[in-house]
Amino acid sequence: MPRHPALTALAVVAGIALIVLAIVYWAEPAGSLPSWIPGHQAGSGHHHVKHGIASFLVGLACLVYAWFATGGKRSAHARS
Amino acid sequence: MVLGLLQGVSELFPVSSLGHSVILPRLLGWNIHQNDPYFLTFLVATHLATAIVLLGFFRRDWVRIVRGLGRSLREREIAPDDVDAKLGWLLVVGTIPAGILGLLLEHKLRHIFASPRSAAFFLILNGFLLYGAELLRRRAPQTSSDDDARIARQVGWRGAFLVGAAQAIALVPGFSRSGATMGGGLIVGLSHKDAARFAFLLATPIIGAAAVLKLPELFGHQGSGVRGQALVGALCSAVTAYLAVRFLMRFFETNRLTPFAVYCVLAGAGALLYLVLS
Repeated sequence: MPRHPALTALAVVAGIALIVLAIVYWAEPAGSLPSWIPGHQAGSGHHHVKHGIASFLVGLACLVYAWFATGGKRSAHARS
Repeated sequence: MVLGLLQGVSELFPVSSLGHSVILPRLLGWNIHQNDPYFLTFLVATHLATAIVLLGFFRRDWVRIVRGLGRSLREREIAPDDVDAKLGWLLVVGTIPAGILGLLLEHKLRHIFASPRSAAFFLILNGFLLYGAELLRRRAPQTSSDDDARIARQVGWRGAFLVGAAQAIALVPGFSRSGATMGGGLIVGLSHKDAARFAFLLATPIIGAAAVLKLPELFGHQGSGVRGQALVGALCSAVTAYLAVRFLMRFFETNRLTPFAVYCVLAGAGALLYLVLS
């Protein structure tokens, strides 16, 4: 996999942020979400479980990308 | 039983299961609406049965794919000669857009396009989509043997993402998920059999996850009074899904999507005409 350090760092930050966002979606009702987060509905007690799953999956995908981008035994051998 | 049998076949045939389960009850005069809680619960059970059948049918492939995924994660790279790992990650890349679009849009689209008339109209469009995929398809060899290396080589990351995202079109009743993925597979250069195989592998996690996500409804208060019917429907669906996947894997060794395209156009047009006139 080609190395792009800036993209990898961005993927790590985005991955962690999205997983945190997922936890917020699962833990907080729509009414308690910050107004800038998609799904905020004033006074609503509904939990956006699906938003949380979507956010978690994208976050996980970002971290997996970073995992591959920073590893690789064979490519490390090839470089040395 | 009828809906279960129908669901098992139409979920895997590229003819839109959701479209059929919206249109058929209206044509037969059954008082069923696709947004009724008990009907959704019924669908959850039949989808779960279909996913289990697909998982069982391709169980050896899934074992290899999961091992390949684990191997690549351990080695932190997808080795060029590791076909199972490549295919596994192609399936992951294809599943993510479909899953996210499904999670975010399913509820809205199901309500907007809930009517049998719109389902019949989109069934006609599904026919044109299938035929269009046949016209646009790249030259691909007709092959009788399973060869994941060929799929992994031909599809690529962008192709997997686009084919996976195309599944989201099936959220609209009348469009077929397997039709969209098979059509997408043909356009990126797969043979008919490889496209069908990739479509079924891609469908398994999506159908399974959608069903598992809604299992609480089946076992909750919404499922009260329909669990018996749902179980019978699921068993019927499992039988026809197994027969359907066996048939289709043989069918696409030598045949094309064209017969399904013709069926969708004719069935959709006939249903639309009947619904408008009646």
